[in-house]
Amino acid sequence: MAVATVSTQSGAKPKRSRSQFAQAWRRYRRNYLAVGGLIWVIIFLIAGIIGPWIAPYSYSHTDFLNVNSPPTWQHIMGTDNLGHDMYSEILWSIRFALEIAFGATLVSFVIGIVLGLWAGMKGGIVDQIIMRLVDFMGAFPTFFFDLLLVVKFGRGMGPILMAIGITGWAGYARLIRGLVLSMRKGDMVEAATALGASQMHIARRYLLPNVMNQMAVSLAFGIPNDLTVMAGLSIVGMGLRPPMPSFGNLVAQAGSMMLGFPWMMYFPAGIFALTLLSYLFMADGLSEALNPRGGD
Amino acid sequence: MAILKYLIKRVVAMIIMISAVIAIGYVMMYYTPGGFFTASNIASALGPLAAQNPQLYQQILRDFQERYGLNYPLWHQILLYIWHSLTFNFGYSMQNPSIKIMTTLHTAFPISCMLAFGSIVLALIVGIPLGIIAAIKRNTWVDYTASTVAISGQAIPAFVTAALLVLLFGVVIQGVLPVNGWGGPGHQILPTPGQAVLPIVSLGLGTIGVVAKYVRNSLVDIMRQDHIRTAQAKGVRYWRIVMKHGVRNSLTAMITVIGPAFAFTIVGTIWVEQIFSIPGLGQVLSTAFTNDDFPLAITSIFILAALISIMNLLVDISYSLMDPRVKLE
Repeated sequence: MAVATVSTQSGAKPKRSRSQFAQAWRRYRRNYLAVGGLIWVIIFLIAGIIGPWIAPYSYSHTDFLNVNSPPTWQHIMGTDNLGHDMYSEILWSIRFALEIAFGATLVSFVIGIVLGLWAGMKGGIVDQIIMRLVDFMGAFPTFFFDLLLVVKFGRGMGPILMAIGITGWAGYARLIRGLVLSMRKGDMVEAATALGASQMHIARRYLLPNVMNQMAVSLAFGIPNDLTVMAGLSIVGMGLRPPMPSFGNLVAQAGSMMLGFPWMMYFPAGIFALTLLSYLFMADGLSEALNPRGGD
Repeated sequence: MAILKYLIKRVVAMIIMISAVIAIGYVMMYYTPGGFFTASNIASALGPLAAQNPQLYQQILRDFQERYGLNYPLWHQILLYIWHSLTFNFGYSMQNPSIKIMTTLHTAFPISCMLAFGSIVLALIVGIPLGIIAAIKRNTWVDYTASTVAISGQAIPAFVTAALLVLLFGVVIQGVLPVNGWGGPGHQILPTPGQAVLPIVSLGLGTIGVVAKYVRNSLVDIMRQDHIRTAQAKGVRYWRIVMKHGVRNSLTAMITVIGPAFAFTIVGTIWVEQIFSIPGLGQVLSTAFTNDDFPLAITSIFILAALISIMNLLVDISYSLMDPRVKLE
């Protein structure tokens, strides 16, 4: 018996010479759009981190002598109707967008994991209640709830982050519950239970690592979604309060002045569109690289 | 009879769900600091004198609270509000106390419906052929281009597409299509054909992506099945196989995509109406929210939520009618 086990292991070993991560990266690298998306996302992240230091002006600095100026050497992306330097505004809005998108995704992800794991492991009435709640959140666009929450709690960074976060968990909870349910029936869990492992231990040690891949993909799709919602709130006039720049504010503001001063739209709308595209291409590439079963 | 029972069940569930939405909205609005009847708002409506005279101010405040039922206990207000909403008796908005909300909706609602349904129809007309072509030319540059376009349409939200379209038609090539407005003197609801093009296109791009991707994937799956091989062996012509055996089967299931796509489109409508300054429900909702006009805000959310629920119900029913294997439950 022991001999047989050893021989199968040594027989299987040469095949898995590379780690799972390296294999995924090899598959990812073949998708040029995904690699391009990743590069832009990294640039965007760096700009978000160092942006406030390299921005030539503060976001609330107004240059009254150069109001509505087209791009010049002094203001390389022009200025808006109050004389804000567009380049600085964009750098700051990258920072705010990243903070809110990452924070909100984290919040909804944590809520989703907790509720999904709970529903999946416990079953019964808890499962019923949580899934009804998920259906309820899924049936209406969460944008409406976001609006209501922002009205209630104000238009600052924290309230918007929380509003987007606590309405966006339904998808994560559903995903994780489904994964847990599909695995609870598996041999692995049965074996662990037979060995006397506690439920908490099983969840942490066996279930979580297995769902990591799919969670990474859903996170990659979740961040651009939160970016969109955040900008959408600004379009309706319920986003970050005006002295703070955000892509939604910039686009909405430029939208009303576009026919006279079109350069106000080029940069914010262009960069925002490019960023969302990059995130989506990256997420798409990630889901193909991490999930090689759909190999056609 | 089964369908009648199912309908009743669904409608009851829908009413409960929408009531919950209204109740949540109402409670949040109720506890919002500030509110509409602040001293500055009354002062701007009646002149600073009214705000300075405390008695008159209190009197006006009381009158207003009575008018909007704000003097009842909260639970009573909520039930009253839900009942009034469900019977389409929305009362008056706070900004225009003399104009019924229903009157506002009479022009705003059809406009938003036109936008939403127009964009869905556009998405079907463009998305289905795009998906079919991508599936037939699977794994060629045609497929990759179509998939990339589909992802782009989904990724970029409607307001950015709308803004870029305005940039294109308002600045780069001027005078081809009007870039804002809706209707004109004498016809408030119906737009001129040119006015409708850009909003509907910018709304539809996202749905085109969804539809094309769905048709492509399901058609690729179906083309691998046995009945297709049988048809090929029989010597049926290629296009006939694709259209009759493939596309028809993939389209029945595609109706399930329409429900979520519609909800997505409704939110897009709100944004697009802002960019193109179209006086639809989105515009109503946005002004209501920015001015703390609670009745109008909750009513517009109610209308949109009801529209989405009804659309979901219709999708489910028509799916079961088109595909006899699907059981309603």
